[in-house]
Amino acid sequence: MHRVDMSVAIGDLVLANPVLTASGTFGSGKEYADLIDLTRLGAIVTKGVSTSPWSGNPSPRMAETASGMLNSIGLQNPGVERFIADDLAWHRRSFPQVPLVVNVNGHTIDEYISVVRRLDEEEGISAYEVNISCPNVDAGGMAFGTTCEAASEVTRAVRAATARTIIVKLSPNVTDVAAIARSVEAEGADAVSLINTLLGMAIDTRTFRPKLARVVGGLSGPAIKPIALRMVWQVSSAVGIPVIGMGGIASATDAAEFMLAGATAVAVGTANFVDPRTAVHIVDGLEDFCASRGIGRVSDLTGGLITPDAAANRDREEGSR
Amino acid sequence: MCEEHRLDGQARPMLREAVVTSNEAVSADVWLVTLESPEVASTVAPGQFVHLKIATGRDFILRRPFSVYSADAERIEILYQLVGRGTHELSLAEPGDRMDLIGPLGTGWEIPEAPVRALLVAGGLGVAPLRMLAEALTRAGSTVALAYGAPTAERLTGVEIFSAAGCQVMSCTDDGSAGTHGLVTLASGDLLGTGEVDIVYTCGPEVMQRAVAAQARDAGVRCQVSLERLMACGIGACLSCIVPTTAGQRRACVDGPVFNAEDVIWGDS
Repeated sequence: MHRVDMSVAIGDLVLANPVLTASGTFGSGKEYADLIDLTRLGAIVTKGVSTSPWSGNPSPRMAETASGMLNSIGLQNPGVERFIADDLAWHRRSFPQVPLVVNVNGHTIDEYISVVRRLDEEEGISAYEVNISCPNVDAGGMAFGTTCEAASEVTRAVRAATARTIIVKLSPNVTDVAAIARSVEAEGADAVSLINTLLGMAIDTRTFRPKLARVVGGLSGPAIKPIALRMVWQVSSAVGIPVIGMGGIASATDAAEFMLAGATAVAVGTANFVDPRTAVHIVDGLEDFCASRGIGRVSDLTGGLITPDAAANRDREEGSR
Repeated sequence: MCEEHRLDGQARPMLREAVVTSNEAVSADVWLVTLESPEVASTVAPGQFVHLKIATGRDFILRRPFSVYSADAERIEILYQLVGRGTHELSLAEPGDRMDLIGPLGTGWEIPEAPVRALLVAGGLGVAPLRMLAEALTRAGSTVALAYGAPTAERLTGVEIFSAAGCQVMSCTDDGSAGTHGLVTLASGDLLGTGEVDIVYTCGPEVMQRAVAAQARDAGVRCQVSLERLMACGIGACLSCIVPTTAGQRRACVDGPVFNAEDVIWGDS
């Protein structure tokens, strides 16, 4: 089998392969370092970081559901200074060769800006993922991701604050995700990532109580994959910037589906919990997928979907020659 | 500080494929599975756990955490109660089946080097992480008393193992079918009242652990608890399994499951 060029570009950022970790499922990588070879990853996307420490939501924060799970962690994190002193320092010391994308959060636009400005003083960060889609916080979070105006405003402010690559993480809990994607593209986002979790809930019928203390939470895992795939297809058809696809990806064929739908790269989330090796297996599996089909570059998969319309057009073009 | 609590020399977690060597019911709804996984078995410390991927589940995907009940150079034993999907599916595993396992995980019990008079307080299947502790304490020359509460005599799982190991055992059952008729805190209260206890270790329903922790505090005796939480990753990344402590939010999977009782801020459960 011939070699496959696995590299992909997200704005100015070139990744060795298109497989990332989804924010909130992977810490900053340290927790997985005993179990997998982190250097095999395209990039590590960190747990969300905010200006000051956030304590997150009460327990229980997690409930398993059919082919997935609900979480209501609430972006618990020790704040940007501790992130820099602990996780970023660890990353620079241990795995400087693996691109690090820092997921950024705020209750207000000023808070997003203050995290980005502080991180801009530090080396070893490849990009920011601006989280405007967390369903588990009251102020900010998803509120910024559910209207075009608010999404534009955050993106514009972050764009003005940094020259680094900006990825805006979109919420699926909207009517028209493509419209929001176009808004953030217009404000200078280098890429979009989607989907964040879908708002859901579960009830314990023995106790009549919600399974999550916060009642509602974000659904992730294989259960949401068809929805995520549809949204990635809609968004990539609507914008010119790269799309990072995620939502229930657990195998190389899942990843290939997202790329065919238009994703330039993919992220593995809940599957990290099921098997920490999943992302690495997907890197290998995608390479095999391409090699066995004579595809020389993994990036050639992006947008390769043949819809009935496209097939008809192609037949017409071939017929007219 | 909880953060300093991770014991030196504890093995780093490994991802291994374990082989089921036996899997049998020990009472109506309590089972014992034996898994061969030499590297994990030979390094697991008392109070640590493993995270099992129970292979028969397709629509329920998460791993299940289990305390290690006993370990030798080759194998670990896990005592489990049939409570839901995961444990039901685990009971279907047969000798020869392979099962993906991550371990050893978590921070286990603190075991004093010098001999002490230890009181172990178990509620039901909370006995599971106490067996390796009793063995380690005994090896260190400590004396071990076990106060063990269960619904019925049949559910005093493994009680004979503690007796045979030289532990002083006081049983309590909800129905009076063995030992004292009543809650285990009757026995633990009596023992603490003698003034002959240096440290208390407890595992069981949280309401029971909280009561035991209060008894220990009132008696001026150190107490460690082993807390159970729903968890997704088991390795400290997802922050599902938090325990509020005086030092902030801690993770049951990495900073625990064993905590110093005085650090725990008890909830409503």
